[in-house]
Amino acid sequence: MLFRTTTIASILTIAFASSACAQGRVTLNVITAGDTNMVDYVKDFLGPQFEKLNPGITVKAVGTGPGDAGSQKILEKVAAQKQAGSSAWDVDVAVVHQKFAGQMVEQGTLARYLPQLPNAGMVTSVTARNALGYNVDGYVIPMFQSQTAIAYNPAVVKNPPRTYDDLVAWAQQNPKKFGYNGIKGGMSGVAFVTGWMYAYTGSADKLMAGPYDAATKSSWGPALARLKEFNRVVTLTAGNAGTLDMLNRGEIAMGPVWVDMFYTWKADGKLNPNTRLALIGPGMPGQPMYYVIPAKAANADAARKFVEFATSPKVQAEGIVKRFNWYPGIDAKHLKGQLDEASWNKLFVDVTPEDLAAKAKPLPIAPYFNDILEAYERQVLN
Amino acid sequence: MALLTPALATVLALFIYPMLRSVAGAFAEGDRGDAYAHFGKAIELYSGDMVFTLLIVSGSTLAIGALALTIAGYLTLGNTPWAVAALRWLYRWPLFIPFVVAAQCMRTFLAKNGILNNTLDTVGLIDVANASGLLDWRGIVIAFVWKQAPFAALLVAGAMASLDRSMIDAARNLGASRFRILYDILLPQVRPTLVVALVLSFVTMMSVLSVPLMISGHSPTMLTVDMAFRINSYGDYGTANALGVISYLFTAVAAWAYLRHGIREGSAR
Repeated sequence: MLFRTTTIASILTIAFASSACAQGRVTLNVITAGDTNMVDYVKDFLGPQFEKLNPGITVKAVGTGPGDAGSQKILEKVAAQKQAGSSAWDVDVAVVHQKFAGQMVEQGTLARYLPQLPNAGMVTSVTARNALGYNVDGYVIPMFQSQTAIAYNPAVVKNPPRTYDDLVAWAQQNPKKFGYNGIKGGMSGVAFVTGWMYAYTGSADKLMAGPYDAATKSSWGPALARLKEFNRVVTLTAGNAGTLDMLNRGEIAMGPVWVDMFYTWKADGKLNPNTRLALIGPGMPGQPMYYVIPAKAANADAARKFVEFATSPKVQAEGIVKRFNWYPGIDAKHLKGQLDEASWNKLFVDVTPEDLAAKAKPLPIAPYFNDILEAYERQVLN
Repeated sequence: MALLTPALATVLALFIYPMLRSVAGAFAEGDRGDAYAHFGKAIELYSGDMVFTLLIVSGSTLAIGALALTIAGYLTLGNTPWAVAALRWLYRWPLFIPFVVAAQCMRTFLAKNGILNNTLDTVGLIDVANASGLLDWRGIVIAFVWKQAPFAALLVAGAMASLDRSMIDAARNLGASRFRILYDILLPQVRPTLVVALVLSFVTMMSVLSVPLMISGHSPTMLTVDMAFRINSYGDYGTANALGVISYLFTAVAAWAYLRHGIREGSAR
C-alpha cells in the first residue's frame, strides 16, 4: 500500500511538474476510487472527448483502488496538502464514495462548486444534498447512482408488487418463491432489509438523515418480528449472485438485486431475458459515487469544465447508462432525448425516472446502519 | 540450530505472532471497559452458530472417516483389477481442486433445479418440481466430505498398502469376509493414520470460509462467516477475534487428540 501511495504521489508530482512546464497547457489530474473500470472510464471515454472539446487541456486519470480504501487514500492525500499549507493542490477532480464526501466537507478540503455550473439545475437527487447524514449541498455531483430493486419472473409473477406490503402478501401466497440473501451474503440483501426498516419502523426519515439517537432502535421490535415471520416463507440465497442464479434457474420467482449487476448478467446471457425489475415503495436504497473538486485545486476552472462535461446529459446517457448500466447522476428526465430507444427501454421502462425520484432512497446514516444489522442478527436470526 | 532458525522464524512470524495478537484483540477492552465484552457478544449472538459449526464439522469428519476407510479398503481388498485401477485413478481428483472452486461447482450441482436433481428427474427417480435443493447444511457437509475424503483415503490407503499381506491372505483362507478383514484386521493397524487424517481434516474444515458462504445463505451458519461479517460490516475486530479464540478452543481439542496419538506412537517404537 505504501508502494502504491508513493507511486500515485510520484505520478502526480511528475504530471503536475510537466503541466507547469508546458506553457499554456493544462494537465487536469482526475483521481478516481473504485475498480479499474472507473479508471478506464475516465481514461478511454471521458478524457479523449473532453480533450477534443478543450484544446490545451490534457486529462490524466489515476486510480486509487476499489472499495472504501480507494476513497480513503484520496481523503488522506487532500487532507495532507491542506495541512502542509500548500496553495495549489495537485488533485483537480476526484471521484469518491458516498461515505467519504461528508467527512471531506467537514475537513474543509472541498470546493462548493455546484452553484457555478450551468447544469446545476439538473442535479436533483437527495444524495446530492445529503451524504449519509452529512450536508454536502453544493460540494458534490453524483457521477452515477447504483440502485437496488426487485427482480421478478413475469411468467410466475403476473402482478408485480408495488410496495413492501404487496410483496409480503405475494410471498405468503407463494411460499419459498421470494428469495434474498440475508445480511451476511452481500449488499442486495442488506438493502432489502434496510428498505423493510424504512417501510415498517415509521422512522425512515430519521434513519436516512439523522440525528442519531441510540434509543431509536428500541422501537424496532414489531418490524423485526414481522421480518422474522416473513423469513419463514421465503428462500434464503447464497449471496448477490446466488439470488440471480436461483432466479435464472426458476427456483425463486422474485428477489432483490443491484440494477447494474442485473443488466450486466442479462447482457452476458447469464439471466433469463424475460426477467424484469420493479422498484417498490416506500423505497429501496442505492448509493452514488460523487465528483468532487478539492478546495485549492490547481486547475479549478478546467476542473469545473470537466465535471460539467461529465455530468452533461449526453455523457451521462452514453457513458453511465449505456456502457455501465448505472442510473445517471443527474435527473434522468434530461436524458430521454439523448438515448437510443433500446438503451432507454432497457434502463427506464421497468423503473421509470419518476420511480427513481420517488423511491430511490439513500442508505441509513452509519450508526443506524450498524444498529439495523445488529438488531437483525439479534432478533431475526436468533 | 542454524537449520532450524528459518523454519522457527517463519512459524513465529506467520503463526504465533498473529495468533497472540488475535487472542490479545479478543480480550482488549471495548467501550464498556470489560475484558470479556467481546466474548459476551460472541456468545450472545453466535452461540447457535458455534453449535452448528461443531455439528457440521464433527459430522463431516465421521463421514470422511467412513468414506476413506471404504475407499482404502476396496483399494486393498478389491478383487476386480480394473475397478480397483479406476477407483485409484479417480478418487484423488478432488485433492487438486480448491475449496472455493468446489463450492462454486456445488452451487450448480446441488441446487433445486441443479444438475443432480435434473439428472435424477431424467432417470425418473424423482420429480424435480417437488424436490428440494441441497444448498443448506447438507450442501456444506457434501462439499466438505467430497473435498476431504480423498485426502484421508490417500493416507489410509498408503498405510494399508504397507501392511503385511500374509495376514490378509491367512484371514481369507480361513473364510473371513472382506468387511470382516477390513474391520478386524486392517482398521486396528491403520487407526493411528486414520486419526491423524481426521484431525487434520477437522482443523481444515474449521477454517473454510468459502464453502458456507457460497453454499448456504441460511442461519445458523458457520463461525468463519460470522468472523468475516463482524469485520466487513462493523470493522469489529474484537468480536471477530473472540470468535477466532473460540474456534481455536475447538481445534485445540482436535490437536490434543493428535498429540496424544503422536506420543503413544513415539513411545511404542
